[in-house]
Amino acid sequence: MSATPTLHRPDTLAEASSLLADGQRGLIPLAGATWLMRSPLRGQPWAPGYVSLGALAELRVLDRRPGEFRFGASLSHAQLAAATAGDRDVRVLHQAAAHSANPGVRARATLGGNLCTAEFASADLTPALLSLDARVVVLDPGDPGDLAGAGGRRELPLVEHLRSRGGAGSRRLLTEVVVPRRSRLTGHARLPLRRAGDYPVAIVSVACDTDTAGIVEDIRVAVGSVEPVARRWPELEQLLVGHPLDPVHAARTARECAGAPLGRAGVDVPGWYRERVVPVLLRRAITAALAAPTTGQA
Amino acid sequence: MLTVNGAARLVDAPPMTSLASVLRENLALTGTKLVCGEGFCGACLVELDGEAVPACLVPVGLVEGHDVRTIEAVTPRGEPLGAVQRALKDSDAVQCGMCFPGMTISLTAMLRANPDPTADDVRDHLSGNICRCTGYARIVESALAAAAALREIRGPRDRANGAPRDQASRTPRDRASRAPRGPVS
Repeated sequence: MSATPTLHRPDTLAEASSLLADGQRGLIPLAGATWLMRSPLRGQPWAPGYVSLGALAELRVLDRRPGEFRFGASLSHAQLAAATAGDRDVRVLHQAAAHSANPGVRARATLGGNLCTAEFASADLTPALLSLDARVVVLDPGDPGDLAGAGGRRELPLVEHLRSRGGAGSRRLLTEVVVPRRSRLTGHARLPLRRAGDYPVAIVSVACDTDTAGIVEDIRVAVGSVEPVARRWPELEQLLVGHPLDPVHAARTARECAGAPLGRAGVDVPGWYRERVVPVLLRRAITAALAAPTTGQA
Repeated sequence: MLTVNGAARLVDAPPMTSLASVLRENLALTGTKLVCGEGFCGACLVELDGEAVPACLVPVGLVEGHDVRTIEAVTPRGEPLGAVQRALKDSDAVQCGMCFPGMTISLTAMLRANPDPTADDVRDHLSGNICRCTGYARIVESALAAAAALREIRGPRDRANGAPRDQASRTPRDRASRAPRGPVS
């Protein structure tokens, strides 16, 4: 712990990686800082120092390829919302980015910060990206498994990143998020207690493939803010396949389904309340998906 | 070295100190209020390169090389109030005044991005600005009145020149290169 942490502002990814590779210095990456700046209020000590990623152009890419989106980790929520505004197939991501927190925080908070802050259970982008089968590109400075000599660079499923971030993974530098593109219905629903930018009690994101008759062929349901880490609900997904994509049916199925997320207790709400609202949010997320305009890039 | 309200300011503070603290305690710019310290209340909003951001969440060490504009620069001394501040005053919206620097910065940013907002747009945008006096109805009315006033000012120029940025959208860099200025926010 350091009373006056240092702050490094590298100009290149290589320089940032080099700083982070020196484990003795205890430096960790700093993105929008919207979570870290509240460390003193949470009673958490500063790290010995931080490596700001804000000047790294490589982390601000927005690459729209035919089969995938590649989003730089330093894109703010506001930038991400603007970039995805007309894209039906990633509407869930647009909704998550456009309605998280409040406008001031959305201007600062970043995509990478949302995915790397292990202590933040209520990140909106995480369930949205889980529902889209996103992958992340990371640099693990000093990664002993870097047998390919790729400078610690590797691409891994988001779910794997969520399992291994924090602790030894806290020096990991997330550079890009890769979202596969295909025609699908997607929607996002969150429940804050007020509209004043507070953390949502629970979040549900869905992405669904249907046949021409509207029958679910494949669906991903991700739940955030209920457990400490967002996750998909595979038991529910299996039960919804083969049925019409119907918000009421889905909510009823969710109430009786095994494997439901277990609510964490908090000062805002008890755990049982988070569990109770998930089916309602599922209904809203599917309603939002069905309400999506039929035009737009897929 | 920071650039605050168009002037270079030398600051000696640890790099993870919040910009809000530095503005208030090092630079005596106390119009920026430090209230919740968590980015929820909006009382500390300032413009950073033209974007409204909560200064409590910005480490001062990241601000060098960027333009900071605080409420003190929105209407320089001796100049008439701009559209947002005039509307807030005319609607008698100001009560204790604690939230109003942030409200002004926030509404200015909103009107720059959306010159013709609905009341719902304003309410959505103010999700990051808390008024503990709960005077929201008049604040929303003021925002709509300010939008109408700015459209009125901008209208003839829009018709003549396409769609130039209106006065509420100017950053300190813009203002340095444009003179004279009219009423702003």
